[in-house]
Amino acid sequence: MDRWIHPAIFFFIGALILPLFRGKAKKFVILLIPALSIIDVAFMMEGIYGSYNFLNADIIFGRVDKLSLVFAWVFTIMGFLGAIYALHVEEDGHHMAAYFYVGASLGAIFAGDYLTLFIFWEIMAFSSVFLVWYRKEKKSIAAGYRYLLVHVFGGLCFFTGMMLYYYKTGNMVFDKILPANAGVAEYLILAGFALNAAVIPLHAWLPDAYPEATVAGAVFMCAFTTKTAVYVLARGFPGFEILAILGTAMTVYGVFYAVIENDMRRVLAYHIVSQVGYMVAGVGIGTEMALNGACAHAFAHILYKALLFMGAGSVLYMVGTAKLSKLGGLYKYMPLTMIFYVVGAISISGFPLFSGFVSKSMIVASAHHEGRIWLMLLMNLAGIGTFLSVGLKVTYFAFFGKESAVQPKDPPKNMLWSMGLTSALCFIIGVYPNSLYVLLPFPVEYHPYNLHHLSEMLQILSFTGLVFFLLVKKLAPEDKINLDLDIFYRAGAWVFMKIDEKIISVLDSLWGEAYRAIGLSLLFKNARLSYGFDRKVIDGVVDGSATAVRMVGFVVRKLQTGKVQAYIGLALLMFFLIVWILLVRM
Amino acid sequence: MRIVQYIEFLRRNMKGLVRALIVYLIVLVVFDVTLSRHDAHYIIDKVYAFWTIFGIVGCFILIKVAKGIAHLFLGKDEDFYG
Repeated sequence: MDRWIHPAIFFFIGALILPLFRGKAKKFVILLIPALSIIDVAFMMEGIYGSYNFLNADIIFGRVDKLSLVFAWVFTIMGFLGAIYALHVEEDGHHMAAYFYVGASLGAIFAGDYLTLFIFWEIMAFSSVFLVWYRKEKKSIAAGYRYLLVHVFGGLCFFTGMMLYYYKTGNMVFDKILPANAGVAEYLILAGFALNAAVIPLHAWLPDAYPEATVAGAVFMCAFTTKTAVYVLARGFPGFEILAILGTAMTVYGVFYAVIENDMRRVLAYHIVSQVGYMVAGVGIGTEMALNGACAHAFAHILYKALLFMGAGSVLYMVGTAKLSKLGGLYKYMPLTMIFYVVGAISISGFPLFSGFVSKSMIVASAHHEGRIWLMLLMNLAGIGTFLSVGLKVTYFAFFGKESAVQPKDPPKNMLWSMGLTSALCFIIGVYPNSLYVLLPFPVEYHPYNLHHLSEMLQILSFTGLVFFLLVKKLAPEDKINLDLDIFYRAGAWVFMKIDEKIISVLDSLWGEAYRAIGLSLLFKNARLSYGFDRKVIDGVVDGSATAVRMVGFVVRKLQTGKVQAYIGLALLMFFLIVWILLVRM
Repeated sequence: MRIVQYIEFLRRNMKGLVRALIVYLIVLVVFDVTLSRHDAHYIIDKVYAFWTIFGIVGCFILIKVAKGIAHLFLGKDEDFYG
């Protein structure tokens, strides 16, 4: 019982001691920290650990069960892979931010009460924003601030819900909520969680911020925030119908934008919305199979989405841009990056033998089982869009297609190693799905490799490929950005600035004019008056009092004779005077 | 890299590649038709080669609608937000 070590501790301590090291020792420490956390998770036993009573609320740091363990596994593994990818990054602050971010995610998934969860939730937002800011470009700084503001808003929803929940139930225990019991408090908490899961219409922060993050930072970001949110939704809100519907809507919404976006990393970011949609829908369907599917998909998704971000990041790092309209023919110059990217792309599309095939299909099949045919069809439509956008469009226009002027090389070795290892994991999970299924919270009865499923997936993917090559000219990337719901706060800020410029500053200058015209002349008059007052009255008083002081000083000087007997005599005189006054009063 | 040579070989022999892929697509459809449909509950499980039709129509609609809406009003210049 007492043997439990919170894996977040490794990351927090690691972040604090990292600046003490230099050179090779530093690189060693960067890799050692996540490696230790993986070992820690491997030896972890289920149970409740680190429970305290604080202000009449039970604080639980370590709720270890199958649900939290599956996320702990993938978070620590991803922490390790991300650390390899980021090994060349010079800034200590970047590594520290990543470590705080990973550590806080682990803290959130082991938290057994709302208060602990909330604290780690906020640490996540405030550490991850540095992964955007370290890009050090004007756009990134602005995107980082927007990211932070949106997350603070989500945090406030969560916090308000949490307080109302405490008021209602008298405890802070974070556990499954039944849809029938949910009131304002629960829905506010749900909204806070949904914002982090990028559930539409609260999703726009994600494709806004992630493409502006650093090359390595985006790899971390795509893994943790949304998947922590999937975890808390699976823990607290399984079976909420609204999640099934919004999740399915997300799957289609994300690929819709992924089809038209130009920046590689923005395509992938929109695609996170789509992929997390599957998980949210799985949580919403709420059966054991669907929840298993949501966890399995979170696990598989973290790996291949990180792999895709690593590939796109490598292109950005080596070429200097990730805009498809400026890329093409890279297979000759970055063959390894191309291979790893394609592994990620076919994993995410759900090709047999790769991880998406064994994870995504669990959710789709659970919708099928429950007779939710429309949900299933829309998810499969999103599957088409996945292969179309991430698999075909990006691969074709970046690595094949027309030759571009750029002739970069493959990225540094650490990046290639990280991509290679992640690719291997995607493949291993695809070939041995049981390696993932044993980690899932419920017993698995699903077999992905059956003939119907194989036939279904191969038909969908292959004929998507056919249509892509028939319509490839239609899909040519364009130097454009696409409006999304962030227009409401981005244009809102613009409108505010315009109001400031047009109305407030006009009012301000009017006020200035008025002040000059009326205020200044009044001020002059006032000054003249007070000058007169000063001359006549104040000076009179001051001069008068000066004279008075001089007079008193003159009198007192007579008393200050410098002779001791005179002082004693005076003191005695005073003494008798006081005694006399006291006697008379009595 | 060996892989670059393979890709260039395939690019030189585009015609053969396309023919092979067409054969593969036909095999896929035939394969689906031969599958048993005993425990099919829903129409999507009963229709032959349903997912072929779904793939073609879905992909076509997705491209047309997405690109159409992007051209209609979503697409803006890159400095739209300044």
